[in-house]
Amino acid sequence: MKKVMVAAVFAVALSILAATALGSAKAPARAKASSLATATVKCGATRTIGIAAPYTGPDADIGNQQVRWAKFFVKRWNAQKANSHRKIKVVNGDTQLGVDTAFAVQVAKSFASNSKVLGVVGPAGSQEVIASTSAYKKGGLGFISGSATKVTLTDGHTDGNRRGYFFRTVPNDGAQAPVVANWMTKKLKWKRVYIIDDQEAYSQGLADGVQKILNNRGVTTKRDSIDPKVSDFSSTIAKIPSNYQGIYIPWQGAPLAQTFGQQLQAAGKGHIKLFGSDGLFAPGVWKIAGSYDSAFPYDPTNPIVKAYVKAHKGNGEFFGLPSYVAAQVVVGAVTRACADGKATRAEVRKYIGKTKLKSSILGFPVSFAKSGEMHAPATFGVFQIQKNGSFKRIG
Amino acid sequence: MSSATRQQVTSLWGLALLLAAWTVYAVYFSPTTGWTFFLQLTVNGIILGSIYALIALGYSMVYGILKLLNFAHGDVYMIGSFIGFGVLTLLGGPLNPAIPVALLVLCMFVVAMLGSGFLGLAIERFAYRPLRDAPRIAPLISALGVAFFLENSALLLFGASYRNYDGFDLISYNGIHLGGSTGVFVSYLGVIVISGAVLLTLALIALVRWTQFGKAMRAISFDREAAAMMGIDTDRVIATTFFVGSALAGAAGVMFGLLFSQIYHLMGFLAGLKGFTAAVVGGIGSIPGAMLGGLLVGLVESWAQGYLNGNDSELVVFGILIGVMLIRPSGLLGTPALQKV
Repeated sequence: MKKVMVAAVFAVALSILAATALGSAKAPARAKASSLATATVKCGATRTIGIAAPYTGPDADIGNQQVRWAKFFVKRWNAQKANSHRKIKVVNGDTQLGVDTAFAVQVAKSFASNSKVLGVVGPAGSQEVIASTSAYKKGGLGFISGSATKVTLTDGHTDGNRRGYFFRTVPNDGAQAPVVANWMTKKLKWKRVYIIDDQEAYSQGLADGVQKILNNRGVTTKRDSIDPKVSDFSSTIAKIPSNYQGIYIPWQGAPLAQTFGQQLQAAGKGHIKLFGSDGLFAPGVWKIAGSYDSAFPYDPTNPIVKAYVKAHKGNGEFFGLPSYVAAQVVVGAVTRACADGKATRAEVRKYIGKTKLKSSILGFPVSFAKSGEMHAPATFGVFQIQKNGSFKRIG
Repeated sequence: MSSATRQQVTSLWGLALLLAAWTVYAVYFSPTTGWTFFLQLTVNGIILGSIYALIALGYSMVYGILKLLNFAHGDVYMIGSFIGFGVLTLLGGPLNPAIPVALLVLCMFVVAMLGSGFLGLAIERFAYRPLRDAPRIAPLISALGVAFFLENSALLLFGASYRNYDGFDLISYNGIHLGGSTGVFVSYLGVIVISGAVLLTLALIALVRWTQFGKAMRAISFDREAAAMMGIDTDRVIATTFFVGSALAGAAGVMFGLLFSQIYHLMGFLAGLKGFTAAVVGGIGSIPGAMLGGLLVGLVESWAQGYLNGNDSELVVFGILIGVMLIRPSGLLGTPALQKV
């Protein structure tokens, strides 16, 4: 009985402490998301944007790359004297990509009901974009993804219409599959290709696209899939015929590809070349020399890219690079909308759509079509992993 | 022959028949026929199953003595893998080890097992012992809480990025070719894993069968109160059981890291679930059952990945669990619970 009393008193004390702590913290103004969609916000000297990414969970590795690149932009922006009266504050939203899209929806709702948030960078996954569109639209928030590449996200009808709200600073999979298939057939002249997806929408879409083109060109293909939560690929590898020339692995998570490549080599099939997608673009993590990868383009000579690489001990984390541009676009739009001291989320969306960056760290100018896609020449590049683990652009 | 033994023998015969039928189908009638492919998958399954067996042993030991399902066990395995990785990094890493590779690997195992063992001790002392006489649900909830606590602690301490053992770079990409260069391949790493698991299991069986501690363990698993009345220090024996079970999980964590390279803070969940499945299929509370269950789960997973699709293996593994529970609820080598009437 005494123990129960002590426990009860402890629990009550803890609750009081927690309530006090929460109450004294400056909580953001919460209001109905729908009313904030049209509300005019006083901008002040500090403006707020949200970053929706997988900070934790199975895809935290690539998510944190995106967060670091986006925050790298914000840090550089805030450091400029000219921006001393228009600094940017970031609100984090952990979408836990790979666990459940419900987290992405929760983040979207949280941003939408936060009156200070004027624009959003993210989310990362195509499935997250689909799930959270309704919440962003209800809150009137524009959101720019640096990695959601599913083609149908911007067609205006499949999986919902998000035109005017959703933008992306990456080319879509419709551009990636032909680049990959062309390289395999025209440059590498492969005749037999094994294709393995990781059961996610992104991966299956790319795998379907590439397989279709290869089959049309008379290339023999076989299809399989892996569970990304599992690390033992020995049985999958045992199925791959030794006379196949390449294995296409459009996965997310470079550590998975590294493990797969090592097990492939250990099984005596290291002569079969791996070909990955943008989700595997992680120099220093996926380092099976000779492997190929299609990825977002970037300008390696750009001083900002060099500064990031230097600040991160030689690791470029280039999967996150488009999120830098996404942050740049959002911040630019917020700043223009706040020119008169106040802004609405609709204004911010309008200015996102009107963005015209003459140059970017992607290596080309950035502007958006009505669909939310970047205008040409946005496309994918082909890289090859070198012996030192770096990715060299070869196409 | 007692009724329980007869049931176990029947189960084993049934299993043997099923395996024989499956072998015939796989080798002669499946879409991918041939002995080489089948044997390769079998070898892969045995390697994987060895790791599951070590995890399952911990589940079985704790359940046998306390009738508690220690759901934090998978995360102890995860912590063990991180401890092993820490030792590997401190001693030069896989590409440039500061000491001979054999010694380095031994250090990784010893430190990981000790670290996991002490973690198991701490968990038992603070999360389970106070609830020993509480209703069964209480320690179960506590176990889940500990699991989440360990996962998030690992996330906080080590971050979300995967760590890579690069086991093949450390040891070797080579192995043994059985039946020529196109025959069945067993990597040296695989050999280390299988032999390590066998050695540890034999050591455990020897501990339980032929030592005073083992006798005390068996006494407590039979009747804790009576064992206490006979002068056995039940707290110490239970704590030591947790230590041993957790140490085995730590060893499994290092084996996993060496073989499959990547470790991360959530890896314990699925492995723990499969270890639990293996323990239940083999007969929870039974040490030979845990070994058998682990091997079975590994084999089924490997065969499913090879003959079906990569995404069907989980379906099959957990389907087997349901099937075994329906036909033989106490598991293949488990003893049906006695009921007082």
